[in-house]
Amino acid sequence: MAIAIGIDGVSKRYGDVQALGQVSLDIRAGEFFTLLGSSGCGKSTLLKLIGGFEAPDTGRLTFDGTDMARVPASRRPVNTVFQDLALFPHMSVGENVGYGLKLRGTAATERRRRVADALELVALGGFEDRDVSLMSGGQRQRVALARALIMEPGILLLDEPLTGLDERLRQQLRDEFGRLHKRTGATFVLVTHNQDEALTLSDRMAIMHQGRIVQTDTAEGFFSAPANGFVAQFLGLEPLLVPERVEDGRAIVAGQPIPVGEARPGAARPVVALRPDRLRLDASGTLELKVETVRFRGLSCDLRLSFSDGQTLTLSAPPEARHDHAVGQIVRIALAPDAALLIPPDDTATAGAQPAP
Amino acid sequence: MKTILSLMSLPVIAVLVLGAAPLCVVVVWSFWTWDPSTYWIRPELSLAGYAAIGEAGRWTVLLGTLFKAVLAASFCVVLAFPLAYAIRFLAGRRLALVLMALITIPFFTSYLIRAFSWRLVLGRTGPVNEALQSLGLIAEPLDWLLFSDFAIMVGFIASYLPFAAFPLILAMQRVEPSLLKAAQDLGAGFWRIVGSIVIPLTLSGSFAGFLFVFVMVIGSQTEVQMLGGAGAPIVSIMINDVMRVANFPLAFAISSVVLICVFGVLLAGNRIFGLARLFEGMSK
Repeated sequence: MAIAIGIDGVSKRYGDVQALGQVSLDIRAGEFFTLLGSSGCGKSTLLKLIGGFEAPDTGRLTFDGTDMARVPASRRPVNTVFQDLALFPHMSVGENVGYGLKLRGTAATERRRRVADALELVALGGFEDRDVSLMSGGQRQRVALARALIMEPGILLLDEPLTGLDERLRQQLRDEFGRLHKRTGATFVLVTHNQDEALTLSDRMAIMHQGRIVQTDTAEGFFSAPANGFVAQFLGLEPLLVPERVEDGRAIVAGQPIPVGEARPGAARPVVALRPDRLRLDASGTLELKVETVRFRGLSCDLRLSFSDGQTLTLSAPPEARHDHAVGQIVRIALAPDAALLIPPDDTATAGAQPAP
Repeated sequence: MKTILSLMSLPVIAVLVLGAAPLCVVVVWSFWTWDPSTYWIRPELSLAGYAAIGEAGRWTVLLGTLFKAVLAASFCVVLAFPLAYAIRFLAGRRLALVLMALITIPFFTSYLIRAFSWRLVLGRTGPVNEALQSLGLIAEPLDWLLFSDFAIMVGFIASYLPFAAFPLILAMQRVEPSLLKAAQDLGAGFWRIVGSIVIPLTLSGSFAGFLFVFVMVIGSQTEVQMLGGAGAPIVSIMINDVMRVANFPLAFAISSVVLICVFGVLLAGNRIFGLARLFEGMSK
């Protein structure tokens, strides 16, 4: 049964480092939730608190409304796929996967059957007697998944599980996570610094920075309404342009108007985030920019373009465009509707003051 | 390849000349014949040395020594295990270093001094008896504290604990803390984690520690002389006594038997616990 997680005003400090500051978050039962952020942002600490490997200094952690403060890791309905996988090197694949059931006292025949099922689930059917140290990275990953899923946890925690695998395997296993989530119906909480993983898998995600949650939203929500410049930059909604002024639905950057829709209230010095996918070269476009550099990227080429005040943006064009545009040339670009968003700046010091939705 | 050979030659020669060669000589000489006219041995095959082991209760000394060695080694491993566990998983970096330094303290003074200090501690008027008396637990000083097998065992453990601790610490360092967390995550409590994860993964270290202490006790003499009762027997003292009357074939025969026992334990243990595993992956 999927379990909802309630995190209410949780703080955690290691010596001088505030790992988590007043974090509040509700993860719904059965959802695939991702904690996204760069290293040191507190996402792994939060995962450890949910798993029971650390205790919060302040605040409350609840599973389906029940306080978990006094429940040790070994008795929580949570299982974890650890970053380094933590497979037991002195046990075979089957013994690793069956370890938890053995502790529960499941009878040997029943255990054998369920181990076989769990291995089948992760496409490792018949691997029971293999030595874990002789398996490939992807296979070891699947063993770790099977070892956690065989416990039928209400919550599955995934701590950077795809780090260190090559790109093809990452994609393969990423699809696997999605499939297993649907299949098991458990609440999945993924910690990652890789936004591709986060965006493809999550129902909702939270972006963390310096021990706080900056924004919690669906994947689409982040792109239509990033909370501030930090989030926009993290997701690649670049550049962030500083406008001279903002007037009735337009931001003026270096004398040129950019339509931004309605300005959101509350931001003192808003910035303009441009979605790179909604810009294109167009002779009848509204923005006039100078070509600074042209860089060939294989399937595309990057044009770095500058405003007259020196602010720049990077535009991805078809690879042939590198022949048509010389450095110093003036080009025009067109903005699709909703290409520009007016958002609060990346004010890291006050990022935590953003109310978590 | 040439460089490797020349680099290897020195340690290999050192091991052969300093270690293996004298042992071979001892074994060979144990089969030679005692010549009373020269007070030395001559190269004629004789089993008189081995036959003499069966006399004058020498067998019981041999067996008693082996028993003491097994007992002391077991105690040391049992004490060293929680120590190594604490250093690896409980102590912070600094505390771990302090603990490791403390373990080496027995090496700072001679065995003689240490054994002698235990003689004062365990004596009739020593602090142990005084404390027990002042607590009212005993009326008269305990006599068996000193000059007894108990005192010998205390001396052994105090002297040889580090030999059990270091291989165990080495083995423990190779157990990733995440394995303990994973076991906990899957429902294991503390004792289950120790029993099903930590002990199996450190068996080679435990056995190496056991073996070191075992060998040290078999070769020991000081602790027994200082802390044991009058004429308390142990193999080293027996060999000493035999040498004093210049019965070399017997001394060599006893040594050879001890040697075979030690190698037997080593081979059996390696078979069961995989000693070599302790040094696997060290170059990583």
